[in-house]
Amino acid sequence: MIALILKAVLQTALLLALAPLLSGFIRSLKARLQMRRGPSPLQPYRNIFKLLRKGMVMPDTASWLFSATPYIFFLTTLTAGLMVPTVAADTPAGLFGGVLALAYLLGLGRFFLALGGLDTGSSFGGLGSSREMMISALAEPTLMLAVFTVAIGAGSTALAEIARVAIGQEWRFLEPSQMLACAALFLVLIAETGRIPVDNPATHLELTMIHEAMILEYSGPYLALIEWGAAIKQLVLMTLLINVFWPFGLAAGWTFPGALAGLGWLVVKLIALSCVIVVVETANAKMRLFRVPELMSVAFVLGALALISSFLF
Amino acid sequence: MEFLNNPEFGEKLVTLMAALALVIQIAMVGQRSLIMNIRMYGTQSFLLGAIAGAIAHFNGAWHIYIAAFLTITVKAILLPILLERLADRIGIRHEIEPILGTPVSIVISGALTFIAYIVGESFYHPGPGAALGRNTLAVAISIFLIGFFMMINRRKALTQVLALLSLENGVFLAAICLTYGMPLIVEVGVFFDVLVAALVLGILVYRIRENFESMDVSKMRRLRG
Repeated sequence: MIALILKAVLQTALLLALAPLLSGFIRSLKARLQMRRGPSPLQPYRNIFKLLRKGMVMPDTASWLFSATPYIFFLTTLTAGLMVPTVAADTPAGLFGGVLALAYLLGLGRFFLALGGLDTGSSFGGLGSSREMMISALAEPTLMLAVFTVAIGAGSTALAEIARVAIGQEWRFLEPSQMLACAALFLVLIAETGRIPVDNPATHLELTMIHEAMILEYSGPYLALIEWGAAIKQLVLMTLLINVFWPFGLAAGWTFPGALAGLGWLVVKLIALSCVIVVVETANAKMRLFRVPELMSVAFVLGALALISSFLF
Repeated sequence: MEFLNNPEFGEKLVTLMAALALVIQIAMVGQRSLIMNIRMYGTQSFLLGAIAGAIAHFNGAWHIYIAAFLTITVKAILLPILLERLADRIGIRHEIEPILGTPVSIVISGALTFIAYIVGESFYHPGPGAALGRNTLAVAISIFLIGFFMMINRRKALTQVLALLSLENGVFLAAICLTYGMPLIVEVGVFFDVLVAALVLGILVYRIRENFESMDVSKMRRLRG
Protein backbone atom coordinates (compact mmCIF):
# COMPACT_ATOMS: atom_id res chain seq x y z
CA MET A 1 0.00 0.00 0.00
CA ILE A 2 2.70 2.42 1.05
CA ALA A 3 4.73 1.38 -1.96
CA LEU A 4 1.76 2.14 -4.19
CA ILE A 5 1.28 5.59 -2.71
CA LEU A 6 4.99 6.24 -2.97
CA LYS A 7 4.93 5.27 -6.64
CA ALA A 8 1.96 7.54 -7.28
CA VAL A 9 3.66 10.46 -5.53
CA LEU A 10 6.90 9.90 -7.41
CA GLN A 11 5.20 9.68 -10.79
CA THR A 12 3.07 12.75 -10.08
CA ALA A 13 6.18 14.68 -9.11
CA LEU A 14 7.93 13.48 -12.25
CA LEU A 15 5.05 14.54 -14.48
CA LEU A 16 4.69 17.92 -12.79
CA ALA A 17 8.39 18.65 -12.98
CA LEU A 18 9.23 17.26 -16.40
CA ALA A 19 6.26 18.56 -18.42
CA PRO A 20 7.13 22.29 -18.52
CA LEU A 21 10.78 21.45 -19.16
CA LEU A 22 9.76 19.31 -22.14
CA SER A 23 7.65 22.01 -23.75
CA GLY A 24 10.38 24.56 -23.05
CA PHE A 25 12.94 22.25 -24.59
CA ILE A 26 10.87 21.74 -27.73
CA ARG A 27 10.34 25.47 -28.02
CA SER A 28 14.00 26.38 -27.67
CA LEU A 29 15.09 23.54 -29.98
CA LYS A 30 12.66 24.81 -32.60
CA ALA A 31 14.02 28.34 -32.21
CA ARG A 32 17.58 27.07 -32.63
CA LEU A 33 16.66 25.14 -35.75
CA GLN A 34 15.11 28.28 -37.23
CA MET A 35 18.26 30.30 -36.44
CA ARG A 36 16.59 32.25 -33.66
CA ARG A 37 17.90 32.52 -30.15
CA GLY A 38 14.63 31.61 -28.50
CA PRO A 39 13.73 31.49 -24.82
CA SER A 40 15.60 29.27 -22.40
CA PRO A 41 14.09 25.81 -21.84
CA LEU A 42 13.23 26.91 -18.31
CA GLN A 43 10.89 29.64 -19.54
CA PRO A 44 7.64 27.65 -19.02
CA TYR A 45 8.47 27.28 -15.31
CA ARG A 46 8.91 31.04 -15.06
CA ASN A 47 5.64 31.61 -16.92
CA ILE A 48 3.71 29.27 -14.66
CA PHE A 49 5.31 30.76 -11.56
CA LYS A 50 4.52 34.28 -12.68
CA LEU A 51 0.93 33.46 -13.63
CA LEU A 52 0.31 31.68 -10.32
CA ARG A 53 1.17 34.85 -8.39
CA LYS A 54 -0.95 37.17 -10.49
CA GLY A 55 -4.51 38.20 -9.92
CA MET A 56 -7.13 37.19 -12.43
CA VAL A 57 -9.88 38.76 -14.43
CA MET A 58 -13.19 36.93 -14.59
CA PRO A 59 -15.65 37.72 -17.37
CA ASP A 60 -19.01 38.97 -16.07
CA THR A 61 -20.87 36.29 -17.97
CA ALA A 62 -18.85 33.40 -16.56
CA SER A 63 -20.57 30.73 -14.50
CA TRP A 64 -19.11 28.15 -12.14
CA LEU A 65 -18.09 26.05 -15.15
CA PHE A 66 -15.53 28.65 -16.06
CA SER A 67 -13.77 28.37 -12.72
CA ALA A 68 -14.15 24.60 -12.42
CA THR A 69 -12.65 23.90 -15.83
CA PRO A 70 -8.96 24.55 -15.06
CA TYR A 71 -9.01 22.26 -12.04
CA ILE A 72 -10.83 19.50 -13.90
CA PHE A 73 -8.52 19.74 -16.90
CA PHE A 74 -5.41 19.72 -14.75
CA LEU A 75 -6.52 16.86 -12.53
CA THR A 76 -7.87 14.59 -15.27
CA THR A 77 -4.66 15.02 -17.23
CA LEU A 78 -2.56 14.26 -14.18
CA THR A 79 -4.66 11.18 -13.36
CA ALA A 80 -4.32 10.00 -16.94
CA GLY A 81 -0.58 10.45 -16.56
CA LEU A 82 -0.56 8.04 -13.62
CA MET A 83 -1.76 5.27 -15.94
CA VAL A 84 1.11 5.55 -18.38
CA PRO A 85 4.36 3.67 -17.82
CA THR A 86 7.09 6.29 -17.42
CA VAL A 87 10.27 4.97 -15.86
CA ALA A 88 9.03 1.42 -15.19
CA ALA A 89 6.46 -0.79 -16.84
CA ASP A 90 4.47 -0.85 -13.63
CA THR A 91 2.03 2.06 -13.37
CA PRO A 92 0.78 3.55 -10.09
CA ALA A 93 -2.86 3.84 -11.18
CA GLY A 94 -2.86 0.82 -13.47
CA LEU A 95 -5.39 -0.82 -11.19
CA PHE A 96 -8.03 1.72 -12.12
CA GLY A 97 -7.94 1.32 -15.83
CA GLY A 98 -5.93 0.96 -18.97
CA VAL A 99 -5.95 2.57 -22.34
CA LEU A 100 -9.67 3.29 -22.38
CA ALA A 101 -9.54 5.11 -19.07
CA LEU A 102 -6.54 7.10 -20.31
CA ALA A 103 -8.22 8.13 -23.55
CA TYR A 104 -11.45 9.15 -21.87
CA LEU A 105 -9.81 10.96 -18.98
CA LEU A 106 -8.05 13.07 -21.58
CA GLY A 107 -11.40 13.35 -23.38
CA LEU A 108 -13.11 14.52 -20.19
CA GLY A 109 -10.53 17.24 -19.71
CA ARG A 110 -10.92 18.34 -23.29
CA PHE A 111 -14.71 18.34 -22.97
CA PHE A 112 -14.59 20.67 -19.99
CA LEU A 113 -12.04 22.87 -21.69
CA ALA A 114 -14.44 23.25 -24.60
CA LEU A 115 -17.27 24.03 -22.18
CA GLY A 116 -15.08 26.61 -20.49
CA GLY A 117 -14.42 28.18 -23.87
CA LEU A 118 -18.13 28.33 -24.60
CA ASP A 119 -19.13 29.48 -21.14
CA THR A 120 -18.10 33.11 -21.44
CA GLY A 121 -20.08 33.54 -24.63
CA SER A 122 -17.19 35.09 -26.51
CA SER A 123 -17.11 34.27 -30.19
CA PHE A 124 -13.43 33.31 -30.13
CA GLY A 125 -14.03 30.78 -27.37
CA GLY A 126 -16.92 29.21 -29.22
CA LEU A 127 -14.89 29.03 -32.41
CA GLY A 128 -11.98 27.40 -30.64
CA SER A 129 -14.22 24.90 -28.88
CA SER A 130 -15.94 23.88 -32.05
CA ARG A 131 -12.64 23.39 -33.87
CA GLU A 132 -11.06 21.51 -31.01
CA MET A 133 -14.04 19.17 -30.84
CA MET A 134 -13.89 18.54 -34.58
CA ILE A 135 -10.23 17.62 -34.47
CA SER A 136 -10.54 15.49 -31.38
CA ALA A 137 -13.50 13.64 -32.84
CA LEU A 138 -11.26 12.74 -35.76
CA ALA A 139 -8.22 11.92 -33.64
CA GLU A 140 -9.87 9.78 -31.00
CA PRO A 141 -10.81 6.73 -33.12
CA THR A 142 -7.28 6.70 -34.50
CA LEU A 143 -5.81 6.73 -31.01
CA MET A 144 -8.05 3.80 -30.14
CA LEU A 145 -7.12 1.79 -33.24
CA ALA A 146 -3.42 2.40 -32.76
CA VAL A 147 -3.41 1.36 -29.15
CA PHE A 148 -5.66 -1.63 -29.74
CA THR A 149 -3.12 -2.90 -32.24
CA VAL A 150 -0.59 -3.13 -29.46
CA ALA A 151 -3.16 -4.30 -26.94
CA ILE A 152 -4.04 -7.32 -29.09
CA GLY A 153 -0.43 -8.44 -29.03
CA ALA A 154 -0.27 -8.10 -25.28
CA GLY A 155 -3.73 -9.55 -24.65
CA SER A 156 -4.62 -6.72 -22.30
CA THR A 157 -5.59 -3.08 -22.46
CA ALA A 158 -3.69 -2.28 -19.28
CA LEU A 159 -0.72 -0.19 -20.30
CA ALA A 160 1.50 -1.77 -17.67
CA GLU A 161 0.83 -5.18 -19.17
CA ILE A 162 1.41 -3.92 -22.71
CA ALA A 163 4.75 -2.42 -21.73
CA ARG A 164 5.77 -5.55 -19.83
CA VAL A 165 5.09 -7.77 -22.83
CA ALA A 166 6.96 -5.35 -25.06
CA ILE A 167 10.07 -5.25 -22.86
CA GLY A 168 11.39 -8.60 -24.03
CA GLN A 169 11.19 -7.70 -27.72
CA GLU A 170 12.93 -4.41 -28.34
CA TRP A 171 13.02 -4.81 -32.10
CA ARG A 172 9.33 -5.48 -32.40
CA PHE A 173 8.75 -1.94 -33.66
CA LEU A 174 10.13 -3.04 -37.01
CA GLU A 175 7.03 -5.13 -37.65
CA PRO A 176 4.66 -3.53 -40.18
CA SER A 177 1.69 -3.40 -37.83
CA GLN A 178 3.78 -1.69 -35.15
CA MET A 179 5.20 0.81 -37.62
CA LEU A 180 1.77 1.68 -38.98
CA ALA A 181 0.27 2.04 -35.50
CA CYS A 182 3.24 4.13 -34.42
CA ALA A 183 2.82 6.45 -37.41
CA ALA A 184 -0.91 6.76 -36.69
CA LEU A 185 -0.24 7.58 -33.05
CA PHE A 186 2.35 10.15 -34.06
CA LEU A 187 -0.22 11.96 -36.18
CA VAL A 188 -2.64 11.83 -33.25
CA LEU A 189 0.08 13.28 -31.06
CA ILE A 190 0.55 16.16 -33.51
CA ALA A 191 -3.19 16.84 -33.61
CA GLU A 192 -3.84 16.47 -29.89
CA THR A 193 -0.98 18.64 -28.72
CA GLY A 194 -1.80 21.32 -31.28
CA ARG A 195 1.45 21.10 -33.21
CA ILE A 196 2.04 22.83 -36.50
CA PRO A 197 0.39 21.09 -39.41
CA VAL A 198 -2.83 21.14 -37.38
CA ASP A 199 -2.59 24.04 -34.96
CA ASN A 200 0.07 26.57 -34.15
CA PRO A 201 1.08 26.52 -30.49
CA ALA A 202 2.77 29.92 -30.71
CA THR A 203 -0.05 31.92 -32.21
CA HIS A 204 -2.22 34.42 -30.42
CA LEU A 205 -5.17 36.39 -31.73
CA GLU A 206 -5.25 34.94 -35.14
CA LEU A 207 -8.24 33.50 -36.87
CA THR A 208 -6.44 30.21 -37.29
CA MET A 209 -5.86 29.33 -33.68
CA ILE A 210 -7.62 26.41 -32.06
CA HIS A 211 -6.41 25.60 -28.58
CA GLU A 212 -5.41 29.16 -27.75
CA ALA A 213 -8.80 30.46 -28.82
CA MET A 214 -10.53 28.27 -26.27
CA ILE A 215 -8.49 29.53 -23.35
CA LEU A 216 -8.41 33.13 -24.45
CA GLU A 217 -10.52 34.33 -21.53
CA TYR A 218 -8.41 32.71 -18.87
CA SER A 219 -5.83 34.61 -16.91
CA GLY A 220 -3.69 34.34 -13.81
CA PRO A 221 -3.60 31.06 -11.85
CA TYR A 222 -6.30 29.50 -14.03
CA LEU A 223 -4.23 30.07 -17.13
CA ALA A 224 -1.21 28.65 -15.32
CA LEU A 225 -3.17 25.49 -14.50
CA ILE A 226 -4.35 25.10 -18.08
CA GLU A 227 -0.91 25.65 -19.56
CA TRP A 228 0.64 23.28 -17.09
CA GLY A 229 -2.09 20.75 -17.84
CA ALA A 230 -1.49 21.07 -21.57
CA ALA A 231 2.23 20.50 -21.02
CA ILE A 232 1.46 17.40 -18.95
CA LYS A 233 -0.88 16.12 -21.63
CA GLN A 234 1.88 16.48 -24.19
CA LEU A 235 4.31 14.64 -21.92
CA VAL A 236 1.77 11.87 -21.29
CA LEU A 237 1.07 11.32 -24.98
CA MET A 238 4.75 11.38 -25.89
CA THR A 239 5.57 8.94 -23.11
CA LEU A 240 2.76 6.69 -24.28
CA LEU A 241 4.12 6.67 -27.82
CA ILE A 242 7.65 6.03 -26.66
CA ASN A 243 7.09 3.39 -24.03
CA VAL A 244 4.45 1.38 -25.80
CA PHE A 245 6.22 1.15 -29.13
CA TRP A 246 9.83 1.34 -28.09
CA PRO A 247 10.20 0.18 -24.49
CA PHE A 248 13.97 0.31 -24.66
CA GLY A 249 15.56 0.48 -21.21
CA LEU A 250 12.24 0.39 -19.42
CA ALA A 251 12.48 -1.31 -16.03
CA ALA A 252 9.90 -3.96 -15.15
CA GLY A 253 9.30 -2.81 -11.58
CA TRP A 254 10.03 0.21 -9.43
CA THR A 255 13.41 -0.69 -8.00
CA PHE A 256 15.78 2.17 -7.34
CA PRO A 257 18.51 1.40 -9.91
CA GLY A 258 15.96 0.21 -12.49
CA ALA A 259 13.84 3.32 -12.14
CA LEU A 260 16.90 5.54 -12.36
CA ALA A 261 18.04 3.85 -15.56
CA GLY A 262 14.46 4.03 -16.84
CA LEU A 263 14.41 7.77 -16.14
CA GLY A 264 17.63 8.21 -18.06
CA TRP A 265 16.28 6.29 -21.03
CA LEU A 266 12.99 8.16 -20.84
CA VAL A 267 14.80 11.47 -21.10
CA VAL A 268 16.91 10.23 -24.01
CA LYS A 269 13.87 8.95 -25.88
CA LEU A 270 11.88 12.12 -25.16
CA ILE A 271 14.73 14.18 -26.59
CA ALA A 272 14.77 12.00 -29.70
CA LEU A 273 11.00 12.29 -30.17
CA SER A 274 11.18 16.06 -29.56
CA CYS A 275 13.75 16.34 -32.34
CA VAL A 276 11.35 14.55 -34.71
CA ILE A 277 8.50 16.84 -33.68
CA VAL A 278 10.64 19.94 -34.11
CA VAL A 279 11.72 18.88 -37.59
CA VAL A 280 8.10 18.17 -38.56
CA GLU A 281 7.00 21.51 -37.18
CA THR A 282 9.73 23.41 -38.97
CA ALA A 283 9.42 21.61 -42.28
CA ASN A 284 5.65 22.00 -42.60
CA ALA A 285 3.35 24.94 -42.95
CA LYS A 286 0.14 25.05 -41.01
CA MET A 287 -2.71 23.37 -42.87
CA ARG A 288 -5.94 25.04 -43.69
CA LEU A 289 -8.53 23.92 -41.17
CA PHE A 290 -10.52 22.08 -43.80
CA ARG A 291 -7.45 20.11 -44.84
CA VAL A 292 -7.05 18.72 -41.33
CA PRO A 293 -9.66 15.96 -41.91
CA GLU A 294 -7.46 14.73 -44.78
CA LEU A 295 -4.51 14.34 -42.45
CA MET A 296 -6.66 12.66 -39.86
CA SER A 297 -8.17 10.29 -42.40
CA VAL A 298 -4.65 9.24 -43.36
CA ALA A 299 -3.99 8.62 -39.68
CA PHE A 300 -7.22 6.68 -39.36
CA VAL A 301 -6.46 4.45 -42.32
CA LEU A 302 -2.94 3.85 -41.00
CA GLY A 303 -4.43 2.79 -37.68
CA ALA A 304 -7.00 0.57 -39.37
CA LEU A 305 -4.30 -1.04 -41.53
CA ALA A 306 -2.21 -1.66 -38.45
CA LEU A 307 -5.13 -3.41 -36.79
CA ILE A 308 -5.95 -5.42 -39.91
CA SER A 309 -2.37 -6.53 -40.41
CA SER A 310 -1.94 -7.50 -36.78
CA PHE A 311 -5.09 -9.59 -37.02
CA LEU A 312 -4.34 -11.34 -40.27
CA PHE A 313 -0.62 -11.98 -40.00
CA MET B 1 26.68 -9.84 -39.18
CA GLU B 2 25.05 -13.20 -38.57
CA PHE B 3 21.53 -11.90 -39.13
CA LEU B 4 22.31 -10.90 -42.70
CA ASN B 5 22.04 -14.55 -43.69
CA ASN B 6 19.10 -15.42 -41.50
CA PRO B 7 16.02 -16.10 -43.68
CA GLU B 8 13.69 -15.06 -40.86
CA PHE B 9 15.27 -11.62 -40.79
CA GLY B 10 14.95 -11.49 -44.56
CA GLU B 11 11.27 -12.25 -44.36
CA LYS B 12 10.75 -9.49 -41.77
CA LEU B 13 12.69 -7.05 -43.91
CA VAL B 14 10.66 -7.86 -47.02
CA THR B 15 7.37 -7.57 -45.13
CA LEU B 16 8.41 -4.23 -43.71
CA MET B 17 9.37 -2.84 -47.09
CA ALA B 18 6.16 -4.16 -48.62
CA ALA B 19 4.16 -2.42 -45.90
CA LEU B 20 6.04 0.81 -46.62
CA ALA B 21 5.23 0.44 -50.31
CA LEU B 22 1.57 0.11 -49.38
CA VAL B 23 1.73 3.21 -47.19
CA ILE B 24 3.30 5.11 -50.08
CA GLN B 25 0.51 3.92 -52.36
CA ILE B 26 -2.13 5.21 -49.94
CA ALA B 27 -0.23 8.45 -49.52
CA MET B 28 -0.26 8.83 -53.31
CA VAL B 29 -4.04 8.71 -53.19
CA GLY B 30 -4.03 11.52 -50.64
CA GLN B 31 -1.32 13.63 -52.26
CA ARG B 32 -2.50 16.41 -54.54
CA SER B 33 0.77 17.56 -56.02
CA LEU B 34 1.67 15.85 -59.28
CA ILE B 35 5.42 16.18 -58.84
CA MET B 36 5.22 14.71 -55.34
CA ASN B 37 3.16 11.89 -56.80
CA ILE B 38 5.82 11.10 -59.36
CA ARG B 39 8.53 11.13 -56.70
CA MET B 40 6.47 8.88 -54.46
CA TYR B 41 6.10 6.49 -57.35
CA GLY B 42 9.89 6.52 -57.71
CA THR B 43 10.30 5.76 -54.00
CA GLN B 44 7.80 2.94 -54.20
CA SER B 45 9.62 1.44 -57.17
CA PHE B 46 12.88 1.74 -55.29
CA LEU B 47 11.35 -0.18 -52.40
CA LEU B 48 10.21 -2.87 -54.81
CA GLY B 49 13.71 -3.08 -56.22
CA ALA B 50 15.04 -3.43 -52.67
CA ILE B 51 12.49 -6.19 -51.98
CA ALA B 52 13.62 -8.01 -55.10
CA GLY B 53 17.23 -7.59 -54.01
CA ALA B 54 16.46 -8.92 -50.55
CA ILE B 55 14.64 -11.94 -51.97
CA ALA B 56 17.53 -12.58 -54.31
CA HIS B 57 19.97 -12.42 -51.42
CA PHE B 58 18.05 -14.54 -48.95
CA ASN B 59 16.99 -17.18 -51.43
CA GLY B 60 20.21 -17.26 -53.38
CA ALA B 61 18.53 -16.68 -56.72
CA TRP B 62 21.05 -14.66 -58.69
CA HIS B 63 18.80 -13.79 -61.62
CA ILE B 64 16.48 -11.77 -59.38
CA TYR B 65 19.40 -9.42 -58.84
CA ILE B 66 19.00 -8.46 -62.47
CA ALA B 67 15.29 -7.82 -61.93
CA ALA B 68 16.14 -5.71 -58.87
CA PHE B 69 18.75 -3.75 -60.81
CA LEU B 70 16.34 -3.19 -63.70
CA THR B 71 13.55 -2.11 -61.34
CA ILE B 72 15.73 0.46 -59.67
CA THR B 73 17.25 1.86 -62.86
CA VAL B 74 14.12 1.84 -64.99
CA LYS B 75 11.24 2.39 -62.62
CA ALA B 76 12.87 4.27 -59.76
CA ILE B 77 15.16 6.54 -61.79
CA LEU B 78 14.37 6.60 -65.50
CA LEU B 79 10.56 6.72 -65.44
CA PRO B 80 10.26 9.43 -62.76
CA ILE B 81 12.71 11.62 -64.70
CA LEU B 82 10.78 10.99 -67.89
CA LEU B 83 7.44 11.77 -66.28
CA GLU B 84 8.76 14.89 -64.58
CA ARG B 85 10.08 16.17 -67.87
CA LEU B 86 6.71 15.46 -69.44
CA ALA B 87 4.94 17.31 -66.64
CA ASP B 88 7.34 20.18 -67.14
CA ARG B 89 6.72 20.31 -70.86
CA ILE B 90 2.97 20.29 -70.46
CA GLY B 91 3.33 22.96 -67.85
CA ILE B 92 1.36 21.49 -64.96
CA ARG B 93 3.14 21.35 -61.67
CA HIS B 94 0.48 20.35 -59.21
CA GLU B 95 -3.22 19.90 -58.58
CA ILE B 96 -4.45 16.46 -59.46
CA GLU B 97 -8.18 17.18 -59.00
CA PRO B 98 -9.57 13.77 -58.13
CA ILE B 99 -13.25 13.05 -58.60
CA LEU B 100 -13.85 12.04 -54.99
CA GLY B 101 -12.51 14.12 -52.11
CA THR B 102 -9.30 13.11 -50.37
CA PRO B 103 -10.73 11.80 -47.06
CA VAL B 104 -13.26 9.61 -48.87
CA SER B 105 -10.61 8.34 -51.29
CA ILE B 106 -8.27 7.43 -48.46
CA VAL B 107 -10.97 5.60 -46.56
CA ILE B 108 -11.88 3.74 -49.75
CA SER B 109 -8.22 2.77 -50.15
CA GLY B 110 -8.29 1.43 -46.61
CA ALA B 111 -11.37 -0.62 -47.44
CA LEU B 112 -9.68 -1.91 -50.61
CA THR B 113 -6.73 -3.03 -48.52
CA PHE B 114 -9.09 -4.92 -46.28
CA ILE B 115 -10.64 -6.62 -49.29
CA ALA B 116 -7.17 -7.44 -50.58
CA TYR B 117 -6.33 -9.15 -47.32
CA ILE B 118 -9.46 -11.28 -47.52
CA VAL B 119 -8.80 -12.14 -51.16
CA GLY B 120 -5.14 -12.83 -50.48
CA GLU B 121 -6.10 -15.23 -47.71
CA SER B 122 -7.95 -17.48 -50.13
CA PHE B 123 -4.98 -17.62 -52.51
CA TYR B 124 -2.61 -18.60 -49.81
CA HIS B 125 -1.90 -22.28 -49.32
CA PRO B 126 1.03 -22.69 -46.99
CA GLY B 127 3.49 -25.12 -48.45
CA PRO B 128 7.04 -25.90 -47.40
CA GLY B 129 9.31 -22.92 -47.90
CA ALA B 130 6.60 -20.46 -48.90
CA ALA B 131 6.60 -18.38 -45.75
CA LEU B 132 6.82 -15.14 -47.65
CA GLY B 133 3.64 -15.31 -49.66
CA ARG B 134 0.94 -14.29 -47.29
CA ASN B 135 1.67 -10.74 -46.19
CA THR B 136 3.33 -9.66 -49.32
CA LEU B 137 0.66 -11.11 -51.56
CA ALA B 138 -2.03 -9.19 -49.67
CA VAL B 139 0.03 -6.01 -49.94
CA ALA B 140 0.55 -6.64 -53.66
CA ILE B 141 -3.18 -7.11 -54.25
CA SER B 142 -3.97 -3.95 -52.31
CA ILE B 143 -1.44 -1.95 -54.30
CA PHE B 144 -3.04 -3.33 -57.43
CA LEU B 145 -6.60 -2.49 -56.31
CA ILE B 146 -5.67 0.97 -55.07
CA GLY B 147 -3.88 1.63 -58.35
CA PHE B 148 -7.07 0.68 -60.16
CA PHE B 149 -9.09 2.95 -57.93
CA MET B 150 -6.65 5.79 -58.59
CA MET B 151 -7.10 5.35 -62.32
CA ILE B 152 -10.86 5.61 -61.96
CA ASN B 153 -10.68 8.49 -59.53
CA ARG B 154 -8.51 10.82 -61.60
CA ARG B 155 -9.41 13.00 -64.50
CA LYS B 156 -6.16 13.91 -66.18
CA ALA B 157 -4.44 11.51 -68.52
CA LEU B 158 -0.98 11.95 -67.01
CA THR B 159 -2.13 11.10 -63.52
CA GLN B 160 -3.92 8.06 -64.90
CA VAL B 161 -0.65 6.91 -66.45
CA LEU B 162 0.95 7.26 -63.06
CA ALA B 163 -1.82 5.19 -61.50
CA LEU B 164 -1.34 2.52 -64.16
CA LEU B 165 2.37 2.38 -63.41
CA SER B 166 1.78 1.97 -59.68
CA LEU B 167 -0.77 -0.75 -60.47
CA GLU B 168 1.97 -2.49 -62.41
CA ASN B 169 4.16 -2.23 -59.29
CA GLY B 170 1.54 -4.29 -57.48
CA VAL B 171 1.64 -6.94 -60.19
CA PHE B 172 5.41 -7.03 -60.01
CA LEU B 173 5.33 -7.44 -56.24
CA ALA B 174 2.80 -10.26 -56.47
CA ALA B 175 4.87 -12.04 -59.10
CA ILE B 176 8.12 -11.78 -57.23
CA CYS B 177 6.77 -12.79 -53.85
CA LEU B 178 4.79 -15.77 -55.11
CA THR B 179 7.28 -17.26 -57.51
CA TYR B 180 10.55 -15.96 -56.04
CA GLY B 181 11.31 -14.61 -59.44
CA MET B 182 10.00 -15.59 -62.84
CA PRO B 183 12.32 -16.71 -65.59
CA LEU B 184 14.61 -13.88 -66.55
CA ILE B 185 13.29 -13.56 -70.08
CA VAL B 186 9.77 -12.91 -68.75
CA GLU B 187 11.02 -10.25 -66.38
CA VAL B 188 13.00 -8.48 -69.03
CA GLY B 189 10.01 -8.63 -71.33
CA VAL B 190 7.80 -7.08 -68.68
CA PHE B 191 10.30 -4.29 -68.14
CA PHE B 192 10.45 -3.34 -71.75
CA ASP B 193 6.68 -3.54 -71.81
CA VAL B 194 6.44 -1.02 -69.01
CA LEU B 195 9.05 1.25 -70.49
CA VAL B 196 7.45 1.24 -73.91
CA ALA B 197 3.99 1.67 -72.40
CA ALA B 198 5.20 4.69 -70.44
CA LEU B 199 6.80 6.20 -73.55
CA VAL B 200 3.73 5.61 -75.71
CA LEU B 201 1.40 6.92 -73.04
CA GLY B 202 3.65 9.93 -72.58
CA ILE B 203 3.40 10.77 -76.27
CA LEU B 204 -0.34 10.09 -76.16
CA VAL B 205 -0.77 12.44 -73.21
CA TYR B 206 1.17 15.11 -75.08
CA ARG B 207 -1.01 14.64 -78.17
CA ILE B 208 -4.23 14.78 -76.14
CA ARG B 209 -2.98 18.00 -74.65
CA GLU B 210 -2.09 19.39 -78.06
CA ASN B 211 -5.44 18.56 -79.61
CA PHE B 212 -7.83 19.31 -76.81
CA GLU B 213 -5.87 21.92 -74.84
CA SER B 214 -6.62 19.89 -71.76
CA MET B 215 -5.72 16.53 -70.37
CA ASP B 216 -9.12 15.96 -68.86
CA VAL B 217 -10.19 12.72 -70.49
CA SER B 218 -13.85 13.39 -69.75
CA LYS B 219 -13.68 16.18 -72.32
CA MET B 220 -12.79 13.70 -75.05
CA ARG B 221 -16.47 13.04 -75.68
CA ARG B 222 -16.31 15.83 -78.19
CA LEU B 223 -14.71 13.34 -80.55
CA ARG B 224 -18.13 11.90 -81.36
CA GLY B 225 -19.95 12.87 -84.47
